[in-house]
Amino acid sequence: MSVNTFPVDKVATYPPPIEEAVEAIEALLSEEYTLSRRAVALLLLQHDEEIEGMVRRREGEERFAAIAEHIRKAQEHYREPLSMVILAHRQKQAQAIAQEVVRYPLKTGSGLAEWIGRVCMQPLTGIPILLLVLYYGLYQFVGVFGGGTLVDLLENRLFGEVINPFITHWVKVIIPFAPVQELLIGEYGIFTLGITYAVALILPIVGTFFLMFSILEDSGYFPSLAMLIDRLFKKIGLNGRAVIPMVLGFGCDTMATMVTRILETPRERLIATFLLALAIPCSAQLGVIMALLASHPGALLIWATTLVGVFLFIGWLTAKVLPGTPATFHIEIPPMRMPILSNVLTKTYARMHWYFREVFPLFILASAMIWVGQMTGLFDLALRALTPVVRLMGLPDEAASAFLFGFFRRDYGAAGLYRLQEHGVLDGRQLLVTAVTLTLFLPCIAQFLMMKKERGLKTALAISAIIFPFAITVGTVMSLILQLLGVQL
Amino acid sequence: MSHTPSDDARAQTAHARVVLVGNPNVGKSVLFNRLTGRYVVVSNYPGTTVEVARGQARIGGITCEVIDTPGMYSLSPITEEERVARALLLREQPNVVIHVVDAKNLNRMLSLTLQLLEANLPVILLLNMMDEAERLHLHIDHHALAKRLGIPVIPASLISGRGVEELKNIVSEYLSGRQSRNLPPAD
Repeated sequence: MSVNTFPVDKVATYPPPIEEAVEAIEALLSEEYTLSRRAVALLLLQHDEEIEGMVRRREGEERFAAIAEHIRKAQEHYREPLSMVILAHRQKQAQAIAQEVVRYPLKTGSGLAEWIGRVCMQPLTGIPILLLVLYYGLYQFVGVFGGGTLVDLLENRLFGEVINPFITHWVKVIIPFAPVQELLIGEYGIFTLGITYAVALILPIVGTFFLMFSILEDSGYFPSLAMLIDRLFKKIGLNGRAVIPMVLGFGCDTMATMVTRILETPRERLIATFLLALAIPCSAQLGVIMALLASHPGALLIWATTLVGVFLFIGWLTAKVLPGTPATFHIEIPPMRMPILSNVLTKTYARMHWYFREVFPLFILASAMIWVGQMTGLFDLALRALTPVVRLMGLPDEAASAFLFGFFRRDYGAAGLYRLQEHGVLDGRQLLVTAVTLTLFLPCIAQFLMMKKERGLKTALAISAIIFPFAITVGTVMSLILQLLGVQL
Repeated sequence: MSHTPSDDARAQTAHARVVLVGNPNVGKSVLFNRLTGRYVVVSNYPGTTVEVARGQARIGGITCEVIDTPGMYSLSPITEEERVARALLLREQPNVVIHVVDAKNLNRMLSLTLQLLEANLPVILLLNMMDEAERLHLHIDHHALAKRLGIPVIPASLISGRGVEELKNIVSEYLSGRQSRNLPPAD
């Protein structure tokens, strides 16, 4: 392979006024830079602030002034900024080289994959496809199969009839102290609540969700979805690029908050962070809520409509309140492809592994903390403090515990809710109100920490201070409206 | 990004550094995994490599550090990610820069290659997704491209592993000094 037979840094050349300025600036640069002097000169001509700062610091004010003079003179030849001129010339040469070496087919091969991609992007066909994906992928597979069939098998049969009775029996035999028995096998015990929640409830739900998510991801569906939703997003001050963190948010809001970095302006990053914390349910929560409301399709519909409404309204409001113009949208659209089984399995496994490693200790810790709270009376105190709020929303007092859990993790709270529903404590309306309120809560402590890391403590606190009262208000208003209208769900 | 004497000392004593750059969603993370064998979540949509991944690899008997950068469209950064990627290029003084591109969209990708060459960085161009390009009946003359740019150009399909061995051979040539274009630039 032939390499470096001529100076490669001159592969791209520019019109004489620019080349002359580059040469003059190169001669003025006395220090060594990691980049070639030619590249430094070109970046200076493009008014790159970081490079300007570095050169000014290292070459001194005097030389920098001389350099600035060359830049000014070069600019006199053009009406548009030099950065545009340089960019355009480089791009033209890059395209010319590509033309030389790439032979295109006579007829652009519009394969089946591209056709599917296009169909997914057109609103007329794309929206029905999206609805099908949501219905079969999310509702039927995750909600009915994962949250219904699998959970029933694991929680009621395996844990309820085999494992927990066995453990309960032996704990009672081995450890005769009631408080310790309470810690291990009580109502909120490590085995009967923590491990049962994690393995029998969360595992099948999150597993089916991650499997579906990985299939969609590997097929290349999400970028097409981004194009479809771009227009809608523009109205709320975001561009289609923001679909990526939003879609990831359905997997894990914490991870998605980190991914808001791909957005160009601080304004977009703030809007996206806020919407993620408020209105995007994460996988664990989404799964549990799907399972919870699967037996009340009407409630599920109202839940989804409310969240979409809150998402759009708050997005629109935030965009109004925060000044600035939306950024332009560029995204690579890969063609759709048949998902590869090994990819899907690896991704699903990696996500489940990561999620499980995070929640499993937390669920056990929560059981232990509740136990300490019960022993010291703090737990009851907190429940009593929440009771008026719960009553305001037209819910039975028992729902307070689900809310208390929900403050720590939305999925943990939702899992608590699942229990209440199994025991028949909540009717359809109450279930809906609790589900909506919990979904609007901040997902978990980890997300708060991520918001603090990415946006700063003040913003993180401000977002939380808005979210909790807002969630409870929405729940209360919804409860009142449903009661007034006498809706039965 | 400042260029202090300790940076130079580090450049001489530390492992050789191989830096992966390119647009979002061209397969940098897949290549990272192929080279280091370490698992990071790989996604086939743009913008997910936000944090910088580092890993060790042995290429042609030489231990080196492989650094996966966030996606960048140009050396003039617009997004936070691009800023991170450029800062890495400036700070790490790479022994090899592998520019990973999507072979199907070469005309949109070569502009960054030209910029990397302008900067006199030791670039290898990796044409990824050749399988998809071939399915679209695109014919890419990589020999002509290598000659035109004056750097090694390797056709590859990282998902199936095609081109990885050839890439490793050339990287090891760079690392062992036979193709070294390390600092300071020879001008």
